[in-house]
Amino acid sequence: MSKNILKICIGTPCHLMGAANLLESVEKFDCKLRQKIELKTSHCIDNCCDQAPVAEFNGKVYQNLNPEKLYKIIRENIK
Amino acid sequence: MSNNAISEIVKLKRKLYVELLKLVKSGDLTAEISNLSKKMITKDTARYRCCEFKERAIFEERIKAVLGFNIAENSKKSLEELAASLPRWQKKKRIVEVIGKACDSCPIDKYLVTDACRNCVAHKCVNSCPVKAIVVIQNKAYIDQDKCVECGKCAQACSYNAILENERPCSRACELDAISSDSNRQAKIDQKKCVSCGSCIAACPFGAITAISDLIEVALNLFAEKNNLAVMLAPSFLGQFGHQQSAAKVNYALKKVGFRLVREVAAGAEITAAAEAEELEEKIEFNKTLLSSCCPAFKKMVENEFEELSALISKTDSPMSVTAAEIKSKNPELKTVFVGPCTAKKAEALKDKNVDYVLNFAEMLALFTASNINLAQINEEEELNDAGQLGRQFAYAGGLQQSLKELTASDFKCRQLDGLGRLKKELYLIRANKHDYNFLEGMACSGGCVGGPFSIINQNLAKKLVKEFAESF
Repeated sequence: MSKNILKICIGTPCHLMGAANLLESVEKFDCKLRQKIELKTSHCIDNCCDQAPVAEFNGKVYQNLNPEKLYKIIRENIK
Repeated sequence: MSNNAISEIVKLKRKLYVELLKLVKSGDLTAEISNLSKKMITKDTARYRCCEFKERAIFEERIKAVLGFNIAENSKKSLEELAASLPRWQKKKRIVEVIGKACDSCPIDKYLVTDACRNCVAHKCVNSCPVKAIVVIQNKAYIDQDKCVECGKCAQACSYNAILENERPCSRACELDAISSDSNRQAKIDQKKCVSCGSCIAACPFGAITAISDLIEVALNLFAEKNNLAVMLAPSFLGQFGHQQSAAKVNYALKKVGFRLVREVAAGAEITAAAEAEELEEKIEFNKTLLSSCCPAFKKMVENEFEELSALISKTDSPMSVTAAEIKSKNPELKTVFVGPCTAKKAEALKDKNVDYVLNFAEMLALFTASNINLAQINEEEELNDAGQLGRQFAYAGGLQQSLKELTASDFKCRQLDGLGRLKKELYLIRANKHDYNFLEGMACSGGCVGGPFSIINQNLAKKLVKEFAESF
């Protein structure tokens, strides 16, 4: 089974706008969902710091996230 | 306070920090400040109020607070005028303030009957009310608010959960009953009771309560390259500057952004602990009680509400105060900037001649962001080892108590409590002499400083990181 790759930006602008919340929320996913995801961190994604916090899921970049939005994105795009 | 989920209102505030800092950096603060609200709030941005004009009016009040001005006193002054008068030399009057325009005047009535009321035959609500405040009007229960004593029995009795407990978030968060409402039903803070703990700031969903900031004044010093600032990092700083950003990296980055000196407040905490241990030995000898003095909100509460107990508070200066005094004695030309998760420290600093400015972690992160410094992209580090475990563990509830146990030769009983409500109850017991210990460690925030209102990361994680850092020494 190919893993789904989630990259969360932990750069300072993203951290200021809630990257820590995103990381925390991923660890709280239920086991089955969490197992399918490989979590990575990134120093900066796409240089779109004014749209922080930013994450990349399976190659696509998502901006201006919060834990709820991230969860929906993962649910809808998971392989 | 462990609620550090970032709401839209928190994001808006932090974006404002960054935008203002960029203006300071480019030297356009006075020229551009009056356009900022128009630039940041447009017809197309998400809107929470009736129109963008009201939103902008509120936003301008927020800007005043970030500039470091009390809102009520400066309501008639324009932003330009205020920005031009910086840097200001007189200290602020108070720290926690209501933005009148932003307060939505939430309902004051504590119990309300909702549409779920079915006008049932049993009428348990009417029967349960001890003051006969409930009558049935137009097929629905009705609470006469003049009679209601807010006991909550009706809400418990209703079979349909049709009666709602509806307390304002700000006054629910305030454990000292310092928030009431004025004649316009807007929140009003009783400054005689307020200890600047910051709970209400974090609780208000409209962002209508704010702390008056030192951010712009710090930035004016920093960006003018005066090279005259010393940072004092609160013991709880681990992890607050980003995922896996080490203390050594934070130290390096702070110097890179332009701070001349970086000190751990934990260094001051070690001195505080040693002095407090001496005081404690004396108290144990006479079987008296000592109250901790490092949490300014707790200390202020004792002074405000338990005057007769204020003699029991430790005479030792707080770690922040000790650290600042040490810096100033060696480098009198420096200005000191405390960085932490706390609003009460801002109030403490107003009375401390050695502490010039207090920032929270988000404000410091905004400084990095506006200076285009991304900690995650920095590889250099500079070791930070000002203090050992005895000082570093002050960051979480129970840490101080642990340090004192190690420093005190005699045996003694102690108690540790966090949360102002719980501490208040305990102080009643001490007043009545119904306690059996020699030392009480009081922390206003649940979990201690790691659970402060301006902590950025989860407090359990923060505690773990602080512990690792403390043990690494």
